[in-house]
Amino acid sequence: MKRNKATNRALKRPKLSGDAGGGRFGYFVTRAVMNIRQNMLVNTLTVGTITLGLLILSLFLLVYVNVEGLAENWSEKVQVTVYFESEPDPVTLRNLTSQVEALSGTANAKFVSKVEALNRFRERLKGQEALLDGLAPDILPASLEIRLKKGHRESAAVDAYVSRLKKIPGVAEVQYGEEWVRRFSTFMSFMRVTGLVLGAFLVLAVVLIVSNTIKLTIYARQDELEIMALVGGTKWFIKIPFLIEGIIQGSAGALLAELVLFGVYFAFLHNAGNFLSFNPADAGLSFLPLEWLAGLLAGGMLLGLLGSLTSLKRFVRI
Amino acid sequence: MIRLNNVYMSYGGNVAALHDVSLHIAKGDFVYVTGASGAGKTTLMRLFYLAHAPSRGQILIDGQNITRFKPAQIPYLRRDFGVVFQDFKLLPNRTVLENVGITLEVLGWNKKDIARRVNHVLKQMGLEHKVNSTPQRLSGGEQQRIALARALVNEPKILLADEPTGNLDEATANQVMSVLKEANIRGTTVVVATHDRHLLDKHPRRVIMVDKGRISEGGDEA
Ligand SMILES: Nc1ncnc2c1ncn2[C@@H]1O[C@H](COP(=O)(O)OP(=O)(O)OP(=O)(O)O)[C@@H](O)[C@H]1O
Ligand SMILES: [Mg+2]
Repeated sequence: MKRNKATNRALKRPKLSGDAGGGRFGYFVTRAVMNIRQNMLVNTLTVGTITLGLLILSLFLLVYVNVEGLAENWSEKVQVTVYFESEPDPVTLRNLTSQVEALSGTANAKFVSKVEALNRFRERLKGQEALLDGLAPDILPASLEIRLKKGHRESAAVDAYVSRLKKIPGVAEVQYGEEWVRRFSTFMSFMRVTGLVLGAFLVLAVVLIVSNTIKLTIYARQDELEIMALVGGTKWFIKIPFLIEGIIQGSAGALLAELVLFGVYFAFLHNAGNFLSFNPADAGLSFLPLEWLAGLLAGGMLLGLLGSLTSLKRFVRI
Repeated sequence: MIRLNNVYMSYGGNVAALHDVSLHIAKGDFVYVTGASGAGKTTLMRLFYLAHAPSRGQILIDGQNITRFKPAQIPYLRRDFGVVFQDFKLLPNRTVLENVGITLEVLGWNKKDIARRVNHVLKQMGLEHKVNSTPQRLSGGEQQRIALARALVNEPKILLADEPTGNLDEATANQVMSVLKEANIRGTTVVVATHDRHLLDKHPRRVIMVDKGRISEGGDEA
């Protein structure tokens, strides 16, 4: 028997719809959308599951992002101070400052003269300034206060920074809150590891639940797959609409999850504003960054696609 | 057109569903496959389009040994067949148009051509007014004819009909038989599985008898 497309059959064969540019792809998308409409219940179930799974995952990410942001804020406190035995003259100071600023990791460097140091101290003792009476005005040393950039505020990085700082001529005594930095670093790495482990478990759970749901829904439609195969549909012709359906379900689920997440975030801000009577916008509560939202969407699509692909393997055996 | 040489087939387990079956059905022939319930009629017909593979033996369709086919070739084999299943296998959530059109859809026909062709075939069956119904809202006999329409819409080389008159009244059964005969006249090889003796008497044709998985008579062309 000839396997050519054109057989000399009585029936006149119209052109393949794939002959027009993109026609074949158009067919697949139309079929997928029709399938969704005809299997509304099953699709709602799948999209709902994906939404729920990704919502839990993204809520976790939201909490994580904010805790990390908060920790970053605390780390502003990490400050390296260079003390001078005697107040440097302006030229030496300018020279030194520019060298410090050139070090990688420096956010900014601020000179505090003896007078300023004393004034600051006096400020802190407000109401009890009398205690300072009789002290020499140069009792406190002049210093250069250095703030570090993000990512340079943990133990190892600070240590490395300080040893580079000490190589600059004119820098003798350097102090920073070692104990505090150490604790902060421990906390940060604990948080990262916990976050990673928890995140990995959540992702695994979501993947398992979603792929099983998709498997069930495809199982429920095996008649469709069987008929397509019995009337001569090729493997990919049968599969592609289901894969597109999976991608649509995945994106719909991800978008819904992001929408709900934003709702939750907004509602929370609103309530926090009312209850704690501060301006929520200034509270430092941030939403997921755009790249993460895009990543979540891509993850949803991939979940739908791979979930369908693996499930179809069991039901389409040609 | 269809030739089987010493074919065995088993569903797993030691009992063979088909035992040493050899037969030949010529191009353009019209034959009945008959036998008691459970004899193996459906099993035999399912072999022709590789719904399952034989455990032993050779099956030639139009001169090609299909038992050697790779999975990717099977869809193209099946496009030469029209099959009416004993249980219809209509998709409940698709319309009649889509159910019948699916045969053309897998060939890549576009919507408009499919609609035109399906309407034409439904008219032959006297069911053109049901084109937008779903199968649940059709009677058993109507579903039967929709299944027949799906099998014939592509004017297949071979038509396999498993109990096509199973639950039809006499008038409708006659209508179905005349559709099968017309297809046969247009050149389609027709194989009808049935245990309805009445049908064999009324529309006499060559008969292949299956008994407990063996061909007991009529395996070769008379
Ligand atoms: N999927 C299956 N798995 C295991 N055994 C099967 C399967 N299908 C059929 N059989 C067995 O194979 C034998 C032949 O079945 P088959 O369906 O071919 O009979 P039949 O002649 O078509 O009967 P009927 O007239 O009732 O349709 C029977 O004994 C049946 O129990
Ligand atoms: Mg049967």
